[in-house]
Formats: sequence, structure tokens, C-alpha cells
Amino acid sequence: MSDTRPANRRGILGRLYHGETSVDFYGRRRYGFLFSGLLVIVTLVSLLTSGLNLGIDFEGGVAWQVPASSTFGTDEARDVVEENGVEVANAKIQTLKSGDVESIRIQVGDQTTEVRSAVQAALAEAAGVDVNDVSVSSVSSSWGRSITEKAVRALVVFLVLVSLYIAWRFEWRMAVAAIAAMLHDVLISVGIYSIFRFEVTPATVVAFLTILGFSLYDTIVVFDKVQDNIERFAATRTGMADITNVSMNQVLMRSLNTSLAAVLPVISLLVLGSGVFGAVALREFAVALLVGLSIGSYSSIFVASPLLAVLKEREPRFKNLRGLHSTGAELEHMVVTGTSSGLKNVRRQVQADEHTAPSANVTPGALLTHPPRPRKKRRR
Amino acid sequence: MTRRRLAFTLFGLLIVVFGSLAGNLVAGNEPSLGLDLQGGVSVTQEPVGEYNSESLDLAVERIRERVDSLGVAEPEIIRQGDAIVVNLPGVDNQDEAIKLVQVTGAVLLRPVLLSQMIDTPDSVVDDGSSTTTATPNGDATTSTNVSTTIATAATTLPSSTTTLPGGPSRPATVTSLPTDTTTTPATTAVDAQSTTTTVASTDAPTGTEAPTTDVTLPTDMPDPTDPNATVFVQNADGTEFYQLGPAFATGEVFNNDAQADIISGGWGVRVTLRGGATGADLWNSGAARCFAKDSSCPSGRMAIVLDGVVQSAPSVNQPSFTGGVDITGSFSEGEAKDLARVLKSGALPVRLQVQAVQTVSPTLGSDSLRAAIISGLIGVGLVLLFMLLYYRSLAAIVVAGLLISGVIQWNVISLLSSTNGLALSLAGIAGIIVSIGVTVDSYVVFFEKLKDEVKSGRTLRNSAERGFKSAWRTILAADIVSLLGAFTLWYLTVGSVRGFAFFLGLSTLCDMIVAWFFTRPTMLLLARSNFIARRRVFGVDPSALAPGGAA
Repeated sequence: MSDTRPANRRGILGRLYHGETSVDFYGRRRYGFLFSGLLVIVTLVSLLTSGLNLGIDFEGGVAWQVPASSTFGTDEARDVVEENGVEVANAKIQTLKSGDVESIRIQVGDQTTEVRSAVQAALAEAAGVDVNDVSVSSVSSSWGRSITEKAVRALVVFLVLVSLYIAWRFEWRMAVAAIAAMLHDVLISVGIYSIFRFEVTPATVVAFLTILGFSLYDTIVVFDKVQDNIERFAATRTGMADITNVSMNQVLMRSLNTSLAAVLPVISLLVLGSGVFGAVALREFAVALLVGLSIGSYSSIFVASPLLAVLKEREPRFKNLRGLHSTGAELEHMVVTGTSSGLKNVRRQVQADEHTAPSANVTPGALLTHPPRPRKKRRR
Repeated sequence: MTRRRLAFTLFGLLIVVFGSLAGNLVAGNEPSLGLDLQGGVSVTQEPVGEYNSESLDLAVERIRERVDSLGVAEPEIIRQGDAIVVNLPGVDNQDEAIKLVQVTGAVLLRPVLLSQMIDTPDSVVDDGSSTTTATPNGDATTSTNVSTTIATAATTLPSSTTTLPGGPSRPATVTSLPTDTTTTPATTAVDAQSTTTTVASTDAPTGTEAPTTDVTLPTDMPDPTDPNATVFVQNADGTEFYQLGPAFATGEVFNNDAQADIISGGWGVRVTLRGGATGADLWNSGAARCFAKDSSCPSGRMAIVLDGVVQSAPSVNQPSFTGGVDITGSFSEGEAKDLARVLKSGALPVRLQVQAVQTVSPTLGSDSLRAAIISGLIGVGLVLLFMLLYYRSLAAIVVAGLLISGVIQWNVISLLSSTNGLALSLAGIAGIIVSIGVTVDSYVVFFEKLKDEVKSGRTLRNSAERGFKSAWRTILAADIVSLLGAFTLWYLTVGSVRGFAFFLGLSTLCDMIVAWFFTRPTMLLLARSNFIARRRVFGVDPSALAPGGAA
């Protein structure tokens, strides 16, 4: 009645479920770095060339929203605004659809109160609706600047605090890797906005912050496992590469589960909220979240952890074992049992040395048949 | 940990959570919806130029009074740093909203043409007397002695009955005696400050509504805040009604040093005059006219008007003032302090500039709300379905945990909605939806650790304890990062980001509460029973979990 097959005879899903996968994440780290690097480059290029489509909340300006009709479209709206002496060359005029209702949104630079009201009245008249059906939003440019500045300042303070916290709770290398992965996630999410010319509104900023928080959260959970394993393998000669691989495979199911749990409501928001119910306000928000959360899950495994491994390998403790890692059945053995065999390690290292050029890294210690007894760890 | 203590923790939490839910339901508290979900107008103003904190505070209070008088349901008036955000749900006329919230704290000094008591319960002297005494020198500190003596002089005045309000004083130095405290003839005045300490009357403090008096009003009432018109206004507690002439000066004739003080044995306000043409000269020209009771100021009283409400209308006892002005009368300490605050604000009125206006049409708002709620619920359903498939019967604990977390959040939001005017915005809903993922993750972390422990051959009971311990460390580490973010953002930003930060912090705290007070006792208790052991919840042969079974 029970599944007593050995791990290697289970299907891929079964092994995932039992946390017995043996994916060589470390060995494939370059693919992850390459992929992320490409995404970041595309983002940077897009940001530098076309920039962000900032909403009036950040740049200041006035936006009118008028119900559209068959006789009142974007061209008519443009004429009305122009007649009131507002420069329309840089105006953003677009049609928004929310359910069955179509409306036209006209967005221009900062205007005086008089112009605002005059255009509102003129638009209402032209569209044949009540003045109160024309909604106006306006933000002065100084206010827009100040909230942007405040948000940026808050972000910097937050990053400093989080770095200090991670450095204290774990170690500084983890702080570096976590922050790097988080920046990577947010940058790519911002890139989506830049590439697709989505308008950046305060809700978007909220979405970016959510991504930032989730990315850090996810990375911390993974790093917690890594730290666990560093302690667990402290008694053996296990390299950072192996520890990373083992940790990644052990948390893989958790990461997939969590990502799914976080992403499902967002997909629902996207498909049902904006698709079926037609709440446009939710669409871009949901897109940003979906991309950000997925990237966040991806980066904690494919960016943050390999980066941490690379950083950790510079430590004297792991230096000798740099780049060495087991794969396949050996890795699986480590994942499942959480122990490693010193004998195998040495054999692998010797093999590795034979394959590559003579390395100065081989220390007499590495050739011992069994690892030296590690120093007793102090109880925490 | 004993079974009893675990059960106690569990039931304690359930009682607290559902007890407060019942309390909230009985009290009728429910979350109020933000502007973006309900439709309405939001106006953000920021002071520009020079201002002091009194004038800003006063401006906020005035906005609140005006908004309240309009009967807007659940208005939100928030100070964010120096910015004042006014959210008016359900209001769709933007211009009206802007007009409503534009207050300055500017004080006008107007001559009283006519005054009429409204329904005076106690026999306040209709034609109240006040004393204006003068301190000769311009220096406020040196004037103290002088004015005290003046005050004594004032008490000798015929009109100084106990109910009398004070009059501004600083004797003109026309007598050329700088220290002259001669009893300048005091005209009598009724102070606008009634002797009661109640707050502004419920009826139209802005004076746009006709008072219930027999004073006949012109049909087209001028804007009571128009400085150049003859206006009809009330005092703050609605006990007296005035016809006031065009303002001859603003509160800016005073220095920013008004202070409530004991003057001649009673509470009064002492303030110094700004020098030069825009200060003392302006004040004196008005004072002289009132003192002479000429046609522009027949009552001899000068009203101090803030935003269309008479704060005090002392009579002028001297034709001219040099250093400063004392306003005395039957003030209570609080009334004197209020008046001092008004004068301080008037001395440096805050100029609020509208920085952002946002109108959300109600249909747009309710559409978003409905869409967000329905899709949110479906999203949660999907997550639970997935949990059910993956963890089978253990999913029941996830469901219960999410439910408890939801109830706690509902409780907090409802309570804060009715006490602190918190409103649930779209950003807040986003925060909550995302928090579902985080809460579920806590379970996933815990269950996965539990699975590891079980697989390495420990008994279920032992595994649950060890698993929770290590999962708690992870949950704590990750949640602290979220909390750090929430607090930083809440403290340093404005607008919707701030709202998001609040809900992020709230849901993170809920996650920790649920993990410690619900998941821990429940799982540890279940691990001792046969509930889990009988089922193949971890894909491990249950016989291996049974006590004594082979690992």
C-alpha cells in the first residue's frame, strides 16, 4: 500500500514530492547568470532609450477622463483640449475600456485651476454628459517630485536596514546575494513597464514593493536552508557547491509550492479581475505582480543561491573545494540522507585534478583517506 | 510542552479572535472603503512659504469642521508630514471639494456693525463691555507690568461685570505718557467667546446657513470669508450673531507671539503688534474708528474672525495702541488659549496649495472592488485546492489558519476604520492578496521540514516539535524582513504606498500570530493523536510512523 520504491525509480513528480531530486543547480549556474544578465541588459537598454512612462502622480499634470461615445472619440477630445489653449503636442490621449464602458483619458502637463475647470466643462459639453461625469485628476509637479523623492529615500533606508539585518542574522555574503537578487527582480519588473510602455502609477510602485518584499522573503527562506546545511555538513569535507546543490534540491518543492500559492491569486486577479470583469485598474498591477513574483522565485534559486555559492567559495574554509561538486546519484544520496562521504569527495577531487591542469589547490589534506575530525562546534 | 498548555494556547487564541469578531459585529464596525474603491474626490494640499505649526493644526481642524458640517460620510483627513490629504468619498463635484478644503487660518479683523444674541440662556450682558487698556511701549515683556495696572484700571470700569469679555488693550500713547495706564474710557463689548466650553455648535459654523434669529438677512448672503463685503456671521458656539463690515486688517498686524496669560486676575490674551504700516498703523486706524464709534464701526467693537466665524469681538477701549494688545474678559483658560492660537495662526496664516486632486467615479471604484474581491476569493480557492491535493487532510489546518488570519485582519481593519478613519484601498487589498501566499508559505515551510524529520526516522511527535522549531526560525527571519520593509515604508512615504505598507505589516504580523498561536498547538496536538499517523499525509508509509514501527 505504500510507495516503497527507491528514490531513483520514482517519476520526476514523485521525486519532487519526496524532495529527492538531484538537479545540479550549481553546475548550471552559468545558464542562470547568462539568462538573468540578458534580461537585465534588455531592461537597461529599454530604460536608457525609452525610459518609463510615468503617470501624472510622479511628473505632475492634469488628466481628464470622459465617457466616450460614437460621436466623441480621441480626435474630438484632442480638439476640445486644444481649443482651450492647452498644448496638446505632448498630451497622452488614450481610450480605456472597463467592462462595457469606454472612456477617453487625456493627460497633459500642469495646468491652472481655471484651465482645469474650463476644459472639464468643455469636454462635458462636447461629449454630451454631465460635468460631474468628467473626472479630473491633477497633481502639481512639485508634489509629484516630492513623493518620488520620499519613496526613493524610504527604499534606500529599507535596503540598508535589511542588509544589516541579514548580515547580522546570517552573514554579509548572504546579504549581498539577497540584495543583488532582489535588485535583479525589481529591475526586470521595471523593465516590463519600460518595454511595454505601461504607465507607472502609485499602484505600480506598490506592485514593485510587493515584488521586492517577496523576493527577499523567498531568498531568506532558501538561505536559511543553506545555512542549515552548512552546519550539517560542517563535519565533512563538503564544498559550497555541494551544499548549495543539496539545499536547492531540498527546498525546490517548497519554492514551487510557495510560488504557486503566491501566483495563483495574482493569476486569478489578472484573468478574472481584468479579463472577465474588465477592471482595467487591476490589469497592469496584476501583470507586474505576476512577472515580479515569478522572477522572484526564479532568482532565489538560480541567481541568489549560486551567487552565494560563488561568494562563499572564496572563504578559506571552502577554497580548496572550489567548483567541485557531485552530480547524479551521489548528489541524490546527499540530498536524501543529508550526509556526504569523505571518500567520494577525495576521489572526485583527484579525478578532477587529473582532468584539468595540475592544480596548486590540492592540499595534502585533500588526499587523506578520511577527513580530519572537525573542530567541535560550540552549541548555539 | 504539556498537552494542556497547548490546548490552552489554542483555545485562548480562538476565544480572543472570535470574541473580538463578535464584539466588532455587535458594535457594527466594518472596514470602510478607500476612495479608490468607493468613488469620490481626494485633495492633497501642502503649505507653501512661511507658516507655523499652529496655523497648520488649525487649518486641519477647520477642514475637519467644514467637512463634518457638510455631512460627508466617512471623510478621511490625514496629516502626512506637512501635507494634508482630504478624502471625500461619495463627493463628485471636484470644485466644491477644493473650495471646501481650502482654508488658510487667516484671521480678519472686522468692525461689528450690529450684533444680536441668540437664545442666551444666562443673562450675558447684551451690550457687553470690555476694556481696552493700553501698554505704552512696544515691548511685550516690559508691557506686562503696565498692562496689569491697566487691567486694574479696567476693573473699575462700569461695564466690567463678571460676564464681560475682554477688550484689546494697549492705550494709545496719544496721551504721550509711555507708562500711562490712565483709565481710558472703556466701551463695552460682548465677547464672542461665550462662557461655555463646548465646541462649535452643530449648526453651520461657516455661517452659510441662516441662524435662527430674528435678524433679517438679505437674500443673497455674501461669502462670509470675503474681506471686502459686509457679512453676517456667528460666533463659534452660535450664541451671537453679527453683521460685520469690510475687514480693515488681517491677523497679520500681530506678531506671531500671542499668548494666553493671566491679565488683571482673569485669563486673557496678550499679543504684540507688528511695527510699521502693515502692523500697528493698520490696527490703529481701525481701532481709532471703533473707539470713535464712527459710522464704519458703530458698535465700537472689533471682531476677530477666523474663516467666517467670530472668535472674539472685544470693544476697543483706546483709540490707538503702540506696543501690543491685551484682550481680556470672561475667558476660561481654554478659551484664552484657543484665542491665542487663532491669533498666532492669523499672524502667519498658512498658505495651502492644492498639490493633487483625484476624482474616482463611483462606478469605476465599485467595479474594481467587485473584481478584486471575486477574483481574490477564487484565487484563494485555487490555492486551497492545490494545498488539498498536495497535503491532503493537512490542508484543513491551512484552511483554518487562513481563516483565522482573515478574521484577525478583518477585526483590526474594522476597528481602525471606526476609530482612526483607516480605509481599505485597492493597494491594501493587493497587500492582503499577496499575504495569502506568505501565510501559505509558512505552512509549506513547516510541513516540508516535518516531512524531512519524519523521513529521517523520527516519531511523528518528535518530528512535529523539531520541525516547528526550525520552521519558526525560518518564518521569523523572513517575516522580520517584511516587517522592516513595512515600517520603513509606512514611516517615510505618503499616499497609497503608505497604505500598502500598513496592510503588509498587518498581514505579516497575522502570519506570525497564526504560526505561533494556532499552527504550533494544533500540529503538536495532532501529532500526539492518531490523526496524521493514520493517513498517508507525507507520502511516507504510515506504518513507519506508528510507534515502534520500522523506520
